[in-house]
Amino acid sequence: MNSDQFPTRRARLCLGVALTTLGLCSAPVFGAVTHAPNLSARSTAFDSSEPENEALDPILELHNHAALEAAISKLEREHGDLVARIELGKSREGRAISALRLAAGEIEAGRPAILMVANLEGSDLFDSSLALHHAIKLAEMYGDEERATALLNEVTVYIIPRANPDAAEARFATPLYERITGGHGRDTDRDGRNGEDGPADIDGDGRILWMRVPDSEGTWIADPTDARALKEADRTADERGIWKLMPEGRDFDGDKEIAEDPPHDTRVNRNFSAGWIEHDAEYGLFPTDEPEVRALADFVLAHRDIALVLCTGAPDTLLAKRKTVADDARSVKRVPLDGTFKSDDALLQRIADDYKKALDGAPTGADHTPGTFQRWCYDERGLLVISTVLWEMPKGFEAPEDEDAPESDSTDVDSEEHRDEHSDARNTGALGYIDDEPQDLKPTGDLDADSEADTDSDESASDEGNEATHTDAEGNEEEDKPEPTDDAERLNWIDGSGETWRFADWTTFEHPDLGTVEIGGFTPYARNEPPELERAKLATGHFEFLLGLGSKLAKVELFECSAEDLGGELWRIKVVVRNDRMLPLLTQAGKRTRTSRAARLQLDAGDAQLLAGPKQVQIRDLDGNGGRNETTWLVRAKNLDGVQAILVSDHAGSDQSTVEVKQ
Amino acid sequence: MRRLTHWKLLALSAITFFSAPSLGAQDDEGFGLIAGGSPKVEIAWNRLYDHAGLQGLMDRLAEAWPGFITSEAIGTSIGGREMRVYTVSSPGTPADQKPAMWVEGNVHGNETQGGEAVVYLAWYLLENYSTSDAAKELLDRSTLYLLPSVNPDGRDSWLQDAHNAHSSRTGVSPIDNDGDGLFDEDAPDDLDGDGNIVQMRKHLPGEGTHRLNADDPRILERVPANDNGIRGDWVYLGSEGIDNDGDGRINEDGVGGYDMNRSWPSLWKPGHVQYGAGDYPLYWPETRGIATFLYAHPNVAAVQSFHNSGGMILRGPGAEVFGSYPRADLAVYDELGKDGEKMLPFYRYMIIWKDLYSVFGGFVTWTYEGLGIISFTNELWTGERNSPDSRLSQSTRDRLFFDDHLMLGRGFVDWHEVEHPLYGTIEVGGFKKDVGRVPPSFLLEEELHRNALFCVRHARAMPEVSIGEPSFEDLGDGLTAIDVLFENSRAIPTRTALAAKKGIGKPDQFRIEGSGLEVLAGGFRSSRWRPEQIDLAEVEPARLLRDGGIPGRDFVRVRWFVRGSGKFQLQWIGEKGIDVTQEFELP
Repeated sequence: MNSDQFPTRRARLCLGVALTTLGLCSAPVFGAVTHAPNLSARSTAFDSSEPENEALDPILELHNHAALEAAISKLEREHGDLVARIELGKSREGRAISALRLAAGEIEAGRPAILMVANLEGSDLFDSSLALHHAIKLAEMYGDEERATALLNEVTVYIIPRANPDAAEARFATPLYERITGGHGRDTDRDGRNGEDGPADIDGDGRILWMRVPDSEGTWIADPTDARALKEADRTADERGIWKLMPEGRDFDGDKEIAEDPPHDTRVNRNFSAGWIEHDAEYGLFPTDEPEVRALADFVLAHRDIALVLCTGAPDTLLAKRKTVADDARSVKRVPLDGTFKSDDALLQRIADDYKKALDGAPTGADHTPGTFQRWCYDERGLLVISTVLWEMPKGFEAPEDEDAPESDSTDVDSEEHRDEHSDARNTGALGYIDDEPQDLKPTGDLDADSEADTDSDESASDEGNEATHTDAEGNEEEDKPEPTDDAERLNWIDGSGETWRFADWTTFEHPDLGTVEIGGFTPYARNEPPELERAKLATGHFEFLLGLGSKLAKVELFECSAEDLGGELWRIKVVVRNDRMLPLLTQAGKRTRTSRAARLQLDAGDAQLLAGPKQVQIRDLDGNGGRNETTWLVRAKNLDGVQAILVSDHAGSDQSTVEVKQ
Repeated sequence: MRRLTHWKLLALSAITFFSAPSLGAQDDEGFGLIAGGSPKVEIAWNRLYDHAGLQGLMDRLAEAWPGFITSEAIGTSIGGREMRVYTVSSPGTPADQKPAMWVEGNVHGNETQGGEAVVYLAWYLLENYSTSDAAKELLDRSTLYLLPSVNPDGRDSWLQDAHNAHSSRTGVSPIDNDGDGLFDEDAPDDLDGDGNIVQMRKHLPGEGTHRLNADDPRILERVPANDNGIRGDWVYLGSEGIDNDGDGRINEDGVGGYDMNRSWPSLWKPGHVQYGAGDYPLYWPETRGIATFLYAHPNVAAVQSFHNSGGMILRGPGAEVFGSYPRADLAVYDELGKDGEKMLPFYRYMIIWKDLYSVFGGFVTWTYEGLGIISFTNELWTGERNSPDSRLSQSTRDRLFFDDHLMLGRGFVDWHEVEHPLYGTIEVGGFKKDVGRVPPSFLLEEELHRNALFCVRHARAMPEVSIGEPSFEDLGDGLTAIDVLFENSRAIPTRTALAAKKGIGKPDQFRIEGSGLEVLAGGFRSSRWRPEQIDLAEVEPARLLRDGGIPGRDFVRVRWFVRGSGKFQLQWIGEKGIDVTQEFELP
């Protein structure tokens, strides 16, 4: 690694970490926060016909740890027959990590489970509310609504609303700072001191924003279409930078660098072992060093009933274009190829269709990011993982009437394009989205979710030809009319939607170390906290999607259990195991990892004498939609009373059947 | 041997290496180097000890040399045995402020003699402390962290239960190896109850694949392929056991079923890629306890792990995908590895993935690739050591000759009939568990000694920093340029090239401080002859940082520009050496 790796890397870490605020909403005193800076302004900007007093379901507000735990306890108290709280462990700062177990009736052997995990990424607090919403809805609707009832009768649903409680709690602290990291703290700037120069609220406004510092060696200029947004100066186009951009902070350690060694460096959702990157502070000291990670991993290991994992947040495993590998791909230098097996990819594509029906216009992130829970579950546990990003700040404001327009072919096309724009631009902005490290300078594999999204969407765009057309079409106009940066487009959305709390105007400040600077930029959590008006729709849509998942899970059944009389008290017994659900018994990854157990079929011969056939059949290959396995035995008996087939699995049900004599 | 700088250092930092141990007259002349001398602690080195036995030996040493050994529990094994790390160092400078060597053995339960080698290392140095300058210097200026058995459950099972030479490699956490939902239900079985797991064969005249050696019927040999209708009268049926779970396979789900030397974080791969890796890195308490200890002890500057067998001095990488190690570190590895070949007859210095096999998540690859510490695995014992004279070969016949005449036949179970539930009447017989991978008792001590002394060779190479006499250049107007050499006299750098490259641990600090002194600038000089070639510090010139540390047997040349006069202190602070402070005065 060359020596200028450090400043670049440092900048990336700091900028990645430091986001900003909530202008008008002061730090909350209570457990829940809603963004309600200016209600009347908001409703005017959106849709004046909408009733102003439509209140947000309190559960879809943001909850601090105590409030979340209280809600969990309340649910357990009120629905003790359906809901139980399980404590997975404690976070590094000592907060309990809770799971809710929802199931109705007797738990028979092999009952499958869906594990839902939210708020793996520290700033995804709304996802916790959504997960809690799902738990409450399931409990409340059980017995009244058909699909919810069926789901809890057949499936165990584990919901972990907040996998990363320490980082989440920063949402309720002053100054407000979008914290996505935890861990021990490392010596990021290699000066022999750990975490001594982190971002700080230097102007005392209660939030940590961005600073643009006038500097003839700066690399940023104002976006010509919107001076609030920054654009990287293009020297080849004869542009010279006028600002340096850095997180709000001081030079506490006197090394002439601002906020370059934050107290926390490690992201919980980079500390899992799959694809883990060593010697990168973001990934932690060693895989599972973060207590949250070990607690979550141990929970998955201890629950062999988990058949499907549903996550919210990046990396997107469902809607993003996946990197695939052949089912029979061979290892290179003994290391397996990295990606989703083709046959698992096909399953995800089918599920993605359902998802899009439930949540139109969902944004996409990168798939297969190293060190994540999502990737660990798939790569190392062989579990199918459905993970989606619920919301991110759009670019450009769309006229509100579109929202109410009935779906048609043409709007579908629009929303597809919209999606592409999202994925394409997710990280190209300067403030809060930045990845200022050029791809080719990055160490191998040193990709975060953002940069992978970039790469993937580039591929997907060129595959579909959308991007190429787009560029060509605009190419002609380029000389006359500069193209707005992504940040400018985001500002356009903010202006149009009235979500003004998401950007703080640049304000002059006398910095004790730097002289006159400007402080402002996108505020903390502006990127991923959905507007209040969209929350109910997201929660309902995602819940709808969850309700549809239970019936897709593999279910092993004894389809046939018959005997043929061969004479001389000899019987040929034939047992057919079938799976009529959509998902196979094991994913292709699961067949590779051998971490999920096979279904086990045995013939209990009773008094009959077993003359031929296996003692136990381990069934791994059982496709969905009619996949079958056939086994025959030869037994000797006067009659077959008491002879039965016994089928057990860990995550796809169990079955038992006496033998029926064929006439 | 001792430098003047040491004395200066002592005086200044009130470190008292040499004053502390008041050993008294009874400690007399020591033992190791003097014929006829008797050790202070008599230990039989011609036998193996169980886990409690090994800890008991360490306790005896601790009692005999008060102040030299402390210990702490770093956890409990799956089977409930205490994991105790022994810190061996002479009193004076606190052990955690000296460069340290971590030495462990027996991560594979059956690879027992590494445990004795670890204890031997402590014993030999302590016995010689008062008579050998080398032993004394080592314990005065450095620390040993010793863990005789990484896998005490596997060790005790191997020693106490029926096993062969290769079984009980694993720990004892139950694993469902055959995927039938049952755990550890089909282990090998000691059919005749004699405490040995040996081989099974059956006499099937004209239907077999094997025959008995004409000269020695104890040897079963395969009948070569032929068109002459010649068949064997025997079949070989594998290791002693029955199909306990009735699944048609024998011995396929024994106790445990994993490998704690595949569970370390660097280049860790899951079980379907690397057998035995565990469900995530450091999955087992034994491994996590060690990792926690090592992360908390950045003074560890050398690592040795003892295994058996094959006569190897192994270094990483464990897998081809890693690439190669930095050249500067390889020079250290090569120097020590080649010295090891001279100290350990028939041992070869090898690269794990290239010369042995691929290992993902190995221990010594982690301690180097993850922690930046020069680390070796020795595979103790090789058959050639039984018969250094080539007139006795490594053939099975000669191995039996050795057993018959030098072990009086105690290493071989003669074939005898037993009843097997599936095969009927069969014969069981073969070499016992302690033949092949552990030395025979009369050669054990030599094996322990040579390996322990290889550790001493390694430990003596750990960094030792001294500060040279500064020179001064008067620049006029009260300005002085001070030139100082910071020297590391040992082979191992204060920061390995890998540690520097990956930013592991903290950079070395080179400091200057004086009450009458203002430090205006400073930096590392790159040329002896050209003082202007200097890498000036941007900030804090009185506290220079260097991620590359001081290379092995080399020095770093620092120049400071100061204003003022009077006394000043120079200081080197690093993780892997004793910090040095020295006082000088401006002329």
